[in-house]
Amino acid sequence: MAKEVKITQSDLYAARIFFYAAIPLLKVICESEPKFGDKFIGKNFVFQISALYDKAEGGKFATHFVVEDGKWTTHVGAIHEKPDVEFEFSDLKKFIIFFTGKGMPLPKIKGILKLGILVPVLMALLRMAGLMQAKDKPEKFEDQIMLCKLYLYLIPNGMSQLNKLGHPDVKAVTGISPDRAYALIIEGYPELQSWIRMKAGKTMSGRGEYKRCKPFLAMKFKNPSLALDILMSKADMVQYIREENLFVDGAPEFGGTVGNLMFTVAYYALGTYLDEEK
Amino acid sequence: MAGGITFTAVDSTKLATAEIFGRTIAELGAENPNIVCISPDLATSTKMADFLAKYPERFYNVGIAEQNMIGIAAGMAKSGLIPFASCFSVFASLRALDQVHTDVCYQNVNVKIIGTHGGTSFGQAGSTHHAIEDIGVIRPLVNMTVIVPADGIETANAVKAAAATPGPFYIRINRGFDNVVYSTPDYGFKVGKAVVMNEGTDLTIIACGSCVYQAMQAASMLKHDQGLSIRVLNMHTIKPIDREAVLAAVKETRKIITVEDHTVIGGLGSAVAEVVVEGGKACAFRKLGLQDKWSAIGLHEDLLAMHEIDAEGIVKNVLEVMKMDFEADEDWGDEV
Amino acid sequence: MALSKKEWFELETFAADLRDLTIDTVNWAGSGHWGGSSSSADIVTLIYRKFAKFDPKNPEDPDRDRVVVSKGHVGILLAPLFSLLGLIEKEQLKTFNLTGSKLGIHLDSNKVKGLDSSTGSLGHGSSLALGMALAGALKGQTYKTFLVLGDGECDEGSVWEAAMATSHFAKRGGKNVITIVDRNHNMIDGNTEDVMALEPFADKWKAFGFETVVVNGHDIPALAEAIERAYKGDGDKPYCIIADTIKGEGVSFAAGNYKWHYGALNEEKYNTAKADLAAFRAKRLERVNKEGK
Repeated sequence: MAKEVKITQSDLYAARIFFYAAIPLLKVICESEPKFGDKFIGKNFVFQISALYDKAEGGKFATHFVVEDGKWTTHVGAIHEKPDVEFEFSDLKKFIIFFTGKGMPLPKIKGILKLGILVPVLMALLRMAGLMQAKDKPEKFEDQIMLCKLYLYLIPNGMSQLNKLGHPDVKAVTGISPDRAYALIIEGYPELQSWIRMKAGKTMSGRGEYKRCKPFLAMKFKNPSLALDILMSKADMVQYIREENLFVDGAPEFGGTVGNLMFTVAYYALGTYLDEEK
Repeated sequence: MAGGITFTAVDSTKLATAEIFGRTIAELGAENPNIVCISPDLATSTKMADFLAKYPERFYNVGIAEQNMIGIAAGMAKSGLIPFASCFSVFASLRALDQVHTDVCYQNVNVKIIGTHGGTSFGQAGSTHHAIEDIGVIRPLVNMTVIVPADGIETANAVKAAAATPGPFYIRINRGFDNVVYSTPDYGFKVGKAVVMNEGTDLTIIACGSCVYQAMQAASMLKHDQGLSIRVLNMHTIKPIDREAVLAAVKETRKIITVEDHTVIGGLGSAVAEVVVEGGKACAFRKLGLQDKWSAIGLHEDLLAMHEIDAEGIVKNVLEVMKMDFEADEDWGDEV
Repeated sequence: MALSKKEWFELETFAADLRDLTIDTVNWAGSGHWGGSSSSADIVTLIYRKFAKFDPKNPEDPDRDRVVVSKGHVGILLAPLFSLLGLIEKEQLKTFNLTGSKLGIHLDSNKVKGLDSSTGSLGHGSSLALGMALAGALKGQTYKTFLVLGDGECDEGSVWEAAMATSHFAKRGGKNVITIVDRNHNMIDGNTEDVMALEPFADKWKAFGFETVVVNGHDIPALAEAIERAYKGDGDKPYCIIADTIKGEGVSFAAGNYKWHYGALNEEKYNTAKADLAAFRAKRLERVNKEGK
């Protein structure tokens, strides 16, 4: 196989979502689940995930975490020169195949001897992958909540990343938008909320309640299990709205807009585009 | 509330707002023998004729003497009657203001003032007969409740509420016909509680009187032409103002436009602004109304357009305010 | 029916006590409207002690006679009056005009029991009194409404709006208003005829449809007779009594002096006033002894 790997615009969108929105969820796992997070108490290190890409500044894309006594700080899209542990993919395509779960092209692991860091990091990563790459909804309620959180934190951020990279379908929505927010809400769980704010082409995303104003549109799921049915494409949204499992609060005619943006994010995050490229 | 208002939307399209007031007060007169009407040579204009015909002994025409009318009303209220004193808004608020202040509000007596020909609704009569300051002049008076109904049915509701609630009321209605906003009286009218006419999150239009209908038209146009989600509040009670509704509008929509057939100084817009500022949360804000100038002479509809308080004018201003920035352009980063 | 000597004596004594307590209140407050208060003292004495159906123990009786003192700046007369009637604690008079007091220059009907109306802005009382009278007639009550006007106040157009209406509505209750004008001839800037001429004053009231009489407002029997006639109210017209009075009456340095519309007392002036009022009381009672029957 030639060393030359063709990187498409779609790869760049997918990579952006992973580096900026998906990989950061590792911190969410560690902060939400003591079983994983407690392993880092008393430890200080830098962990980085990167993929070589010669057109990128510094020759690669990276996101790294600085952990100080178990407290995580995320540096998206930033290269750390001397991480203690680093997973480095030899090219962007492999990175995407790995993270979409479409294959297991293993990265080069730097700092492999630092087992005290590597093992708990791997465990947390596997926890995240186990939840997000599963085809079916987890059975355990705590797992459902955790997965909801990961999806909810990923989706608006993913939309915002595509916007920032100038994805035309996303820009078409955000470019003409007045200052508005779209929110995802699972009722009864204040932490299971997220949002994207857009205004004349600019976007930002966040977690928890949107406090600036009332969201222009909020998709309110009745509970975590029903939310996963929709988020994992196991159920028909229209039917769920009819059955009141999902309540669209706000201009209903914009429900489709949000749906399309969600599908766009999924299209890259699930690697659907890779299948189409074949 | 005792008794039912027998008006429907069908009636209200056939009746001028003052006529609905006239019929309402006649109905209330049947229920309560303490209700009396006083008029300064305006029984015809203010449509108290029904009451006069039914209860001549309870009707007093004081001639062209608004001050005397209000003073007499206060004396009557002191002696247990519920006087409804009606004259043009401009004279009730300005000519008789000292009496309204001292005899009615200071003594906190049960006088109901019905100001007719509100705003520029008597357009052709010119500024001597336009009431463009009345809300601003009456609103600061202690104990006074100020209501500006949106249409005939709301006028009936306001008059009934005033009759049933002790204390001074000022109800400002228009000359002639109002566009019908309500098809039934049972929409939950409550003094001091704004009515949400249209839900929305992009911007809130807070209107009173004839401007409520215009605001609703504007919201509809903005939805269809621009895809904007506009909240419309009918702030029929200017005092006590519905603080909760205003603060919710600030918090939830962050943009507010007030619309009134009145000068922008001291009226609905000012009342809303007071609440906004005290709320401590910024929002884009604009007051529509007469911009500290006299109105031209003309048909009411034309004057509404000239003052940009008709549907088209409101649309134009909403689009401008949608572009108004009031926040520092924050860091548009994503939370991780 | 002429006053008995005993009744006259009692009325004189009450009026003298009222003047005394008023000057005391002016002294406690540091200043006050002594001029117009003293000119009205005999008028309000006759209203409250002789004519008005008014029981201080039941000041809100719906059938009581009403009293509207339109010249509202005489709160410093009315508060002592209400104190003598038992409606205000005498100690409370010492708070007059003090911050937080219920009593001030213009009395507040929501704070002073028995006061039928707050007044202060001149020219308002006539309409208020008429409203009360119309209400009584409509409800089939027979109470009268006394209206005490200042003469300077009659510059206000609203007095005449109401006067016209009182005559016009005579049959619907207007006749139950008994108007008494305290014609003390003075206002803040000088004599009424210099500032804004009222004369021919009685003719004006007559022209507005009032049965009008001019009497000496400090002559208790004469004033009583005029009020009695008005209270009885023969004929179709409402009654107006022009009570010819002296502003500042009873105190040498104030009587007839327009500058004593409002003034402050020092200790010397207070002592002089008290001595003058004692002499004035003696003189008036002497007349009772001489002329009373």
